[in-house]
Amino acid sequence: MKCHVPGPNVKVLARTVHALARFGDDLYLESLSDCILLRTLNASESAYAMVKLNKNFFSHFNHNYYCVDVEGLKCKISMKSALNAFKSPAHMDKQVENLEIKLDPHSSKLIFQLNCKHGIVKTHYVSILDCKAMQAVYTKDLVPNRITSSQRLLSEALGNFQCSDDQVTLEVTSESLIIKNFGDTPTDISRIIRSQVTIKPFEFSSYTIGTDTNITFTLKEFRALLGFAEGLNLPVQLHFEITGKPAVFVVHNGTTIEAHFVLATSKPDIGTQYTSQHTTNSERKRKENSNDNNISAKKVHLDEDLSNQFQEDSNLFNYIPNNMSQNNVRENINNVEKANSIDTNCDNIPASPTSRMRIASVFKRCFESTFDPRIIHGVVLAENSDSD
Amino acid sequence: MKFRAVMVDPGPMRELTHIVNTISKLSKECVLRLSDDKIYFIVSEDNSGPTPPVLWCEISQSNFFSEYQMIGIDEDHKDIYLGIVSASLAKSLVTLKTAKMLKIKLTKKQCPCLTLDIEMPSSISQQTRQVSHDIPVVVVPRKLWGEFNEPKIPQPDISIELPPLKQLRNTIDRMKTMSSDIIISASAEGRLTLQIKTDTAKVSTRFRGLNVESFEGPIDHSDSETESQTCEDISKICSCRIDAKKFSMFLNAEQISHNRTLCHIIHKRLVVLQLHTKENVDFQCFIMGIVY
Repeated sequence: MKCHVPGPNVKVLARTVHALARFGDDLYLESLSDCILLRTLNASESAYAMVKLNKNFFSHFNHNYYCVDVEGLKCKISMKSALNAFKSPAHMDKQVENLEIKLDPHSSKLIFQLNCKHGIVKTHYVSILDCKAMQAVYTKDLVPNRITSSQRLLSEALGNFQCSDDQVTLEVTSESLIIKNFGDTPTDISRIIRSQVTIKPFEFSSYTIGTDTNITFTLKEFRALLGFAEGLNLPVQLHFEITGKPAVFVVHNGTTIEAHFVLATSKPDIGTQYTSQHTTNSERKRKENSNDNNISAKKVHLDEDLSNQFQEDSNLFNYIPNNMSQNNVRENINNVEKANSIDTNCDNIPASPTSRMRIASVFKRCFESTFDPRIIHGVVLAENSDSD
Repeated sequence: MKFRAVMVDPGPMRELTHIVNTISKLSKECVLRLSDDKIYFIVSEDNSGPTPPVLWCEISQSNFFSEYQMIGIDEDHKDIYLGIVSASLAKSLVTLKTAKMLKIKLTKKQCPCLTLDIEMPSSISQQTRQVSHDIPVVVVPRKLWGEFNEPKIPQPDISIELPPLKQLRNTIDRMKTMSSDIIISASAEGRLTLQIKTDTAKVSTRFRGLNVESFEGPIDHSDSETESQTCEDISKICSCRIDAKKFSMFLNAEQISHNRTLCHIIHKRLVVLQLHTKENVDFQCFIMGIVY
């Protein structure tokens, strides 16, 4: 694959990479015959981003540059190295005349060649970590709730929240949309400022609510995607269903670029969620650093924890008939994303409404209705597609 | 205990934002005292003892609020004292600059909260957008009220007008990088001198022709190391050595639109920096003198 990005679009691409960098640590690039897909997944596997750059985004696009008849060229690079190639997106269009991206299926490097003013050529050889692509399966077209909003409105609304807030809850009804940083469950509120913004439907460009619901998702990724939309000055479309189903944010300009940001949603209960998510994040990071084969490590670790938990408090897992829990899990899988199979592990972990606070705070995510069975059997959010 | 107040004028709203912002830079926490006719922001040091608070800010409610209702605990204790994280208040009021209306209420939601209801104008129509913040507060028990009494300070030896705060701030910020304390001295002839001494240099900046509001001379310099300047009556100079950082912090108040700033000096003991606005806000900083 070889393509040329013209000057003004280099800035767009740079902004894209910077936005993706706020999601995940790896960047997956896939070249198809008519577009390039950039994808990333965050460390806790709760947020996924995909940006599709159409053929006309490029001034020159040759998918079959190195060899003919390749189905799809895929590679995974580290986000840090991608960021290195795209420093300071705000000034890039002034310095860079065009950018050439080359991906040879037989090489171990992805090449970014920046042709700058005054004949300066900067070439970044970025090591390819893997030849796999990653894809999440989600629905955005058949959902009952759709909102289109200018990014400014949402940015202004988020301006009311503190930097320390890490989740927001959207409460939607056909009369109004409420963004707030707290849930219904009692948490330690003596330290946080509880903020709430009410926006009437007329402020949105379009507002369709089929089912009243509330969804909670992380603010960090939300801010990142709003920053992306702000950079390109494009409206944000929000597609979502109900609590627990992923929310999909779409930013596109119709012709050259289309971005999907998928955020996992949960029940609005901030306090416990907060701690649990952070521990898993850091745990994962550590593991990723120490062990390439982190999938298996994750699984082992989790199983260990669970068995400890069993010993400590066997009452935690109430007996629930097998078929019922399987149904639960299956529903999750069907609705959220696809997973390979249900192994016996997940049958042992039904939703446990009577869990004690302490345990709930450690294993909170297992008991959520968003319980993600894939974490248990160590399958990545998106199935690995075939690398050959 | 009840408290409810409404604000609609953009001018006072902006001013309140600036005041709260300045306070949040001075201190992590402050005490908000609500009384029938005034609101006080008080910052005092933990082990204050007999020393005055760091900051004393008085706002007369009638200039700020269009509606103002409050009921204290009982007849003898009419006021309400609330401990609040000043940064929380400042962050919540960030949007106030463009707001249409602000309602402040004292509410009980699991813990006592100061609820701010802000009405923001919508960018595309006449209707408004509702924003509300619940800021947790601590109700200060009656037995601790004494710690937040109005500061009693002795008659200052000199009260002199300060030069424009921006200028002053530039000077102080440069000086503070060189020395941790500054000697501030004022003469009855209307001269303000800021001086630092380091091992290698002595830097001083003089502002001349400033108004002297009052002077209670002569000053006794018998025990001091003050160098006598040529042809000047030393008994008309009053000076105090203060912490440069604290001085600089007060100068954050520059953003509050003020029409008068005064510096009161009690020789070698205390500097009081005072700022007045046209909305009748009285903003005072107390900086204790350092004696070697």
